[in-house]
Amino acid sequence: MKKIVALVMAAMMLFGMMSFAGAEEAITLNVWSFTNELEGMIEKYYAPAHPNVKINYTIYPTDGGEYTSKVDAIMASAAASDEAPDIFTLEAAFVKKYVNSAVTADLAKVGITEEEVAAAIPVMKQIGTNTATGELKGLSWQATPGALMYRASLAEKYLGVTTPEEFQAKVADWDLFMDTAAEINEKSEGAVKMVVGAGDIWNAFNFGRSQGWVVDNKLVIDDVLYDYLDLAVELEQDDLSNKGNAWSEVWFAGMKTDTTLCFFLPTWGLHYTLKPNCGLTTNDKMTDEEMKAACEADGGTYGDWRMVAGPVGYSWGGTWIGANAAKVEAADEAKKAAIKEFILYFTMSEDFLYAYAKDSGDFVGSNAVVDKILAEGGTPNPFLGGQDHYTIFAQAANLANGSIMTDYDEKMNSLWSDFVTTPYSKGEKDLDTAIADFKAQVTAQFPELVVE
Amino acid sequence: MQKVSTNAQAKPAKRKSISYDKYGYFFVAPFFIVFLIFQLYPIFFTFRTSLTDAATWAKVLDNKIIGFDNFAKLFNFGSEISNLFWQSIGNTVIMWVFNFVPQIGMALILASWFTDSRMRLRFQGGFKVLIFMPNIITAATIGILFMSLFDFPVAPVNTMMQQFGLMNTPFEFFRNVTSARGLVSFIQWWMWYGNTMIIMIAGILGINPALFEAALVDGCSSRQTFWKITLPLIKPILLYNLVTSLVGGLTMFDIPHLMTRGNPDNTTNTVARFIYTQGFDSPNNFNMASAASVVLFFIIVICSLILSAIMKDRDKGAKKIKGVGK
Repeated sequence: MKKIVALVMAAMMLFGMMSFAGAEEAITLNVWSFTNELEGMIEKYYAPAHPNVKINYTIYPTDGGEYTSKVDAIMASAAASDEAPDIFTLEAAFVKKYVNSAVTADLAKVGITEEEVAAAIPVMKQIGTNTATGELKGLSWQATPGALMYRASLAEKYLGVTTPEEFQAKVADWDLFMDTAAEINEKSEGAVKMVVGAGDIWNAFNFGRSQGWVVDNKLVIDDVLYDYLDLAVELEQDDLSNKGNAWSEVWFAGMKTDTTLCFFLPTWGLHYTLKPNCGLTTNDKMTDEEMKAACEADGGTYGDWRMVAGPVGYSWGGTWIGANAAKVEAADEAKKAAIKEFILYFTMSEDFLYAYAKDSGDFVGSNAVVDKILAEGGTPNPFLGGQDHYTIFAQAANLANGSIMTDYDEKMNSLWSDFVTTPYSKGEKDLDTAIADFKAQVTAQFPELVVE
Repeated sequence: MQKVSTNAQAKPAKRKSISYDKYGYFFVAPFFIVFLIFQLYPIFFTFRTSLTDAATWAKVLDNKIIGFDNFAKLFNFGSEISNLFWQSIGNTVIMWVFNFVPQIGMALILASWFTDSRMRLRFQGGFKVLIFMPNIITAATIGILFMSLFDFPVAPVNTMMQQFGLMNTPFEFFRNVTSARGLVSFIQWWMWYGNTMIIMIAGILGINPALFEAALVDGCSSRQTFWKITLPLIKPILLYNLVTSLVGGLTMFDIPHLMTRGNPDNTTNTVARFIYTQGFDSPNNFNMASAASVVLFFIIVICSLILSAIMKDRDKGAKKIKGVGK
């Protein structure tokens, strides 16, 4: 009998220890994303600082809408299940769709207060906010303001411009921008074009709208978009551009060779697009010194780029971190705290953001950290001939207006480009036909919208 | 199955033998299970969804049957969605015809050369592999490959044609209806004529060689042998090719989706792309996508029935002749 009692006691103790160990056991967070960008940051910064949190990182690519399909499907069928993400990242193309829906949690629900996010760059916070209810649902570790990059040597040779200030004066608004486009085409006898194509100025230009694509369930074609078409026609038909599309062969060629003067690029575009493509033999695995050497040896444009704010303040892209509403609802306090800590660590923690900014050169999403970096003298960038990119991006970041972002942007932008900008600027259609075709496509694709 | 196993159980008393019959069912079971879950169920689900208001992911789980409204929208000629749908069917048929006719022609010529005993082509195996090769490469790869080959204004094809002096200015292949559709048809043709050729060769080799020998003895030319003997006898194979190619052609998706994205102006937008954009682009109109799939299903069924009716007539004709011979 004693033996049995002892056995039972021992068993109970064992169980007790196991359950105790269970309480101490790491909290697991499922994180879904569409690139390995955040994964790298987790491994490098977050994991060492948070040994008690285990991260299950899952990647679905955005190609062909795979990521959004996966998210939509799991949110509709099993939002609170173990497979569902606790935290998922949202790209600019679809961030509005999710923060305007019930799928993402109000960040106040995990205990994030307004004071804690006061330093976030306004445009990014604005985009991460539910348009209807004003709940903050997504935060970003970076801000993605855009600027205008131009080639210093070409500007000096053909336009006689020697400083960024002088160049900014030549592109301060869209009229001046087009005058400069005509000037460089003329003076270089057609060898150098202002931009690669009308698609290039789109990301900047559409931030000049006063209304987004859809207001009160109605399609809105802002007057500014007609101005954009006029510009597109001039760029195409007056030979003021290389007539190529963004991300095409000729676009990348413009970064390496003397065919294009300007690129409208945001923070990530500078680091991940322009820089790796600046030379004929450069790639994204190279360090700055290697790129410089490769450009000197094989030809390239390293160090010849300068940056100005350009005609309009805009924001292009970005990644927001949101939480799954169903999982937050079901989570205990420890898990809520872990979710809060995860989001705040990446988006607001000054230590992390400062270290990350110094390591990567990325433009971070907290004004407190941006100010700190600016106060230290910014980040002289050898790629920009020693110019400090933080100063210009900081200006642009606080100029951009995020209120024009809607759930429909991605599809509307591509329909507008395919059915209006491209055929109209190439002279395939007149304006009325193009607009009518565009509206027909919108009606077919979004039956619930009112199209007038 | 029941009967077989009872027999097997009853017999061992008399004779010790093992019935292997039941293992056959085990071997085919995986296919049927996979087929039921991943093919048959989705087909019924699509039919059902086409009758509902399941326009978003949330509504898929909580839908209600609304009858034939979705079909009414597709057949409400003149409305935007109906125009888009029927235009996509037209595009698909045009691109399929321009791929299929040359495909059959080329496959027939090659098949008759490869089987011609008088020509005795050398390196036949090598040629067959080369001709079949494009079929092995994933369509997605080919779509991306051609997209970068024919890009504008700087891409290999444009650069080459300018260097050879064929053109003065670069040509925008993907902004011209003829060239964009032509490229899609060309890729489909290039990928599939090898496959069709192999089937044709099999068909020709199935013909009784005595007929060819007799023709040879009677002094037929190669051309006469082809038109009078080969072609009439492989007509069933031709019709089989027609049906499979029709089904494949009407569901054409990957090449147009990856290479042209339906541009210019939706002239390379196929039915499958229409279904995809309705179902998986932003608003997730699953009900409309399902309705379009059902319409496509019936179009394919009707076309296949017509073709198989033609096939059956040929068989009857052949039997009658046989009967007369007896």
